[in-house]
Amino acid sequence: MDKSRYSNPYLIGVFLGLVLLFTYYTMGRGVGSSSSFARVGVAAVAAMAPEHAGSNTFMSAFMQKGRPVLMEWLIFLSLGAALGGLFSAFVGRRLKGEIARGPAVGVNGRLWLALAGGILSGFAARLARGCTSGQALTGAPELALGSWVFMFCIFAGAYGAAYFFRKEWL
Amino acid sequence: MGPLYKYGWFDFSYSLQLAVLIGFCFGLLLERAGFGNPRKLTAIFYLRDFAVLKVMFTAIVVCMLGLLYFSVLGWLDLEKIYLLPTFIWPQIVGGLALGVGFIMGGYCPTTSVVATVSGKLDGLVFLAGMVIGSLIFAELFPLLEGFYNAGAMGAIRLSDFFGIQSGIVAFLVCIMAVGAFWLVERVEKRFGDPETLPEGGSKFKTIGAIVILILGLALAFLNPDGPASPGQESVKGADAKATTLDAPRSQAAPAAEGFKIVHDEGC
Repeated sequence: MDKSRYSNPYLIGVFLGLVLLFTYYTMGRGVGSSSSFARVGVAAVAAMAPEHAGSNTFMSAFMQKGRPVLMEWLIFLSLGAALGGLFSAFVGRRLKGEIARGPAVGVNGRLWLALAGGILSGFAARLARGCTSGQALTGAPELALGSWVFMFCIFAGAYGAAYFFRKEWL
Repeated sequence: MGPLYKYGWFDFSYSLQLAVLIGFCFGLLLERAGFGNPRKLTAIFYLRDFAVLKVMFTAIVVCMLGLLYFSVLGWLDLEKIYLLPTFIWPQIVGGLALGVGFIMGGYCPTTSVVATVSGKLDGLVFLAGMVIGSLIFAELFPLLEGFYNAGAMGAIRLSDFFGIQSGIVAFLVCIMAVGAFWLVERVEKRFGDPETLPEGGSKFKTIGAIVILILGLALAFLNPDGPASPGQESVKGADAKATTLDAPRSQAAPAAEGFKIVHDEGC
């Protein structure tokens, strides 16, 4: 599709490692993003049906710190990530409205698969207490056991399922 | 001595500003690596382009070496860093499911944010899906609670699990990373499309690999877990040492203005 070349992945990796290190040095914690989406969902439920949100063990855990559900470090991190991505896409002239897909899949099919994949990912990230950033990228440098197991399971799951979705991408 | 926030250098509202800055760098780097594009992301699973693995493993190695060296030098108190607890069964199942979600949807959570802002409608749909998926999990939580807490092993590191010091684990991670880079470069040469793969001199790669291995090997000898490494001793004062003795990892930072550090969830 787009022939634009991206930066060298090793170089990006070095910078990303330094950003992570800076996060640990200043904040004493790592990055993450999946809980931001859980928080957005919980905030929406809490606004529409506060009793229901309050009676759910999982949702009420998000509301306990005595400040608004969305007043949270990771939400601001995700906002920053959106700004950074926007800036980089703008500078790299990759800002373009489109539906990314392989040549063999239709627009509708791609969007339904994106929705299904999103639902599965949102569910899985809560089950595992984190996603690729919050578990794998954050826990692995700390040598956390569960994060390493989790990371290899992501690769295993994706490689295992790749055959069935080849028409979506190739 | 870091982490600065846990030693009360700045307060919550400032930490949110820092979050935006860190997030900005994070999003920028992901976009620059091409991770706003699901065809680039999923190419790893068809052996065409291993950028995902290269970025992740390089970042992990750099950050891991940084953390351990900072600890050896006495700049960072690893005890005060939030260590993600291990719940082995939900993490295995969640990891497998997230992998399937990745190849199905084309994104992982953070990259879908980057894709959305660079104009991909499928990224936005994936985001909406994640909100829905999280709520489904929350609604089913009473049923899932037992499994959610299954296999609890506490905040355990690889070094605790295998009973070897973390310097040696770090060295093994470095060897694994360099080995993985070497392997995927060969696979890429075979299946990849040279048109879309970024250039990179082999000299640069070899030097990088050697630096990583040397730093890892040195760490294995330095032993960052040592009961009293000289660097740490000289930085901490006598009274600081007294507090560490009766302060387990759960203790809040000695913040001056009395704000308490609440341990955040990992992600």
